[in-house]
Amino acid sequence: MRRRFRSLQFRLALRLALLFVAATAVAVAVLAYRAYETAGSLHDRELGLRADDLAASVRLDATGKPRLELAPSLVRAYSADAGTDLYAIRAVDGHLIAASQQNFADRIKGWPAPTDDPSYFRLAGYDGSSESYYGLSVALDSPAGPLWVSVAHAGEANTLVQSLLWEFGADLTWIIPLFTLVTLAIGVLAIRGGLKPVRAVSGMAAAIGPHTTSVRLPEKDLPTEIAPLVHAINHALDRLEQGFAVQRQFTANAAHELRTPLAIITGALDSMAETSELANLKRDIARMNRLVEQLLRVARLDAISLDVSAPVDLEAVAADVVEMMAPWAVAQDRAVALAGAGGPVWVRGNTHAIQDAIRNIVENALLYSPRGDEVEVCIGPDGTVSVADHGPGIPDVDRERVFERFWRGKGAAIGGAGLGLSITREIMSRHGGSAGIQDNPDGGTVLVLSFPLCLG
Amino acid sequence: MRLLVVEDEPRMAQILHVALERADFTVDTVGTCDDAREALSLIPYDATVLDLGLPDGDGLMLLHELRQAGNGVPILVLTARDAVEDRVGGLDAGADDYLIKPFAILEVVARLKALLRRPGGALGTTLAAGNLIFDTIGRDVRVDDRPIPLPRRESAILEHLMRRLGRVVPKAVLEEKLYGYGEELESNAIPVHVHHLRRKLMDAGANAEIHTVRGVGYLLTEAKS
Repeated sequence: MRRRFRSLQFRLALRLALLFVAATAVAVAVLAYRAYETAGSLHDRELGLRADDLAASVRLDATGKPRLELAPSLVRAYSADAGTDLYAIRAVDGHLIAASQQNFADRIKGWPAPTDDPSYFRLAGYDGSSESYYGLSVALDSPAGPLWVSVAHAGEANTLVQSLLWEFGADLTWIIPLFTLVTLAIGVLAIRGGLKPVRAVSGMAAAIGPHTTSVRLPEKDLPTEIAPLVHAINHALDRLEQGFAVQRQFTANAAHELRTPLAIITGALDSMAETSELANLKRDIARMNRLVEQLLRVARLDAISLDVSAPVDLEAVAADVVEMMAPWAVAQDRAVALAGAGGPVWVRGNTHAIQDAIRNIVENALLYSPRGDEVEVCIGPDGTVSVADHGPGIPDVDRERVFERFWRGKGAAIGGAGLGLSITREIMSRHGGSAGIQDNPDGGTVLVLSFPLCLG
Repeated sequence: MRLLVVEDEPRMAQILHVALERADFTVDTVGTCDDAREALSLIPYDATVLDLGLPDGDGLMLLHELRQAGNGVPILVLTARDAVEDRVGGLDAGADDYLIKPFAILEVVARLKALLRRPGGALGTTLAAGNLIFDTIGRDVRVDDRPIPLPRRESAILEHLMRRLGRVVPKAVLEEKLYGYGEELESNAIPVHVHHLRRKLMDAGANAEIHTVRGVGYLLTEAKS
């Protein structure tokens, strides 16, 4: 759940939603304020116009007294809704000329004299009505001389506006969330689309390991916000790769440099008079030679990227290995043989690496075979190489561990460094193949290497 | 027989020197390319042992120069490098054989003798394995000086095995060398010849033995004393 809150999508969506709510609230408030203001000024203008109309309708009668002569339409208008619209017209001495209701005239009688600027008022509880009246008083000129005109209108000035606002508000309640959702959806989709290359890059980064230090993450198509991060990671990978290369080179160089002193010791021992102690020394040095050779092979395997693309004839490679190993096998009173598939078996790979892989398991089989025994290298037309021995066998629990570097089982042969099988497995995995252990029906072990066949 | 050893590592040079002298060679030792060039121009050596890593240059360059100049002295290359390209490069540059460090001194002696036994080599015509002697000109095979009569193909097989003493001779190579193009070849012809040869050697008391590497070929070794 915590992860979810930290996602960019979630954060953006949350902020956008808050922004929308705030923006909507402000917009509605401003709108309402403006609407009320406009409605108020409209109402004031209307009252003013009414006052003007009334003033213009005052004439002097035959006796010279001012008289209200309303046009018939106005008479109808004022009488239609007698309690709603009020007016009172007074002469400048306060003398009443005309009023829609006597009550109204009485009510305003004591008020201060109006001026040219309209003064607004509010009447509460007029005539027992629960509604308030809102109106203005103003001094106006008329055909009958200056007058004081007061007009009022029942009810809130802005019922219309209110109902408009309510309607608008009702509309907003579904339009605003809808817009919010649509915008959020667009935002989320845009983020997803924008982050797609990032997910692809993450997938590639996850696959980087000690053997794939040359991989670099693609910087194309990345959002510019993330490109610098990927760029920096690539630089970090450059430095790591260099470090790895130095480390591997060191192992390779160390093993390599050990060869010359070893050659000197070997040569010196060879030229000494034979004693039983010398024979032991020679065995020790032979073991050391093997170890150094294997270390060098491991280092080289770590350091180089194997080209495994060439078509290789397993049968021919196995024949080479058997040819190479035979003199050593004979010297150990053992024999090695090849049971071919009767023709070339083509796999895709690297000849020398495959040679190493097969040699290691043949060497192992010879080391663990009883004296006088023959180790058979069998080539299957399905791209397998199996090497069978009649040694003590490998218990089930150890069958994975024998492939670990420097692992040596109980009763391991003298001279073994525990690197051979790990090298073989490494080579097999580089070839997309596998190395496995089976029981030999005749007693002992069968090591099986499976290569993917090279088709076409 | 006089050999030149080109090796800059003093202990290694000393050991080679002692071992080769013990094998009845006369040995000169130099440590640089320049000295080697000078020695080779002065003395007609029978063979040269050349280490590739030298202080004043690459042994492969020296090798290339010698072959360019038409010097055909048999050369055994010693190298601590075993990258594939070095092996191939060494042989392409004109080395006759190579050994990768660390090697057994006896192997150096054996390989040198094999080089010298090649047609035109200084050891000439006689091959030896234990008490078994093969005169390649007279086609004469002896065990402890007693002659053993061998038919043509059996003696040819023995010659190939003795030339590559201690190393496997593939059956395919024997078939190719023994039978001409278009000649009828029974699938078990070689095994039958080898069987007869082995029986004859055993009967004559030879202390060299032919091992069968089933599926690949044959291997002659001197019996362990």
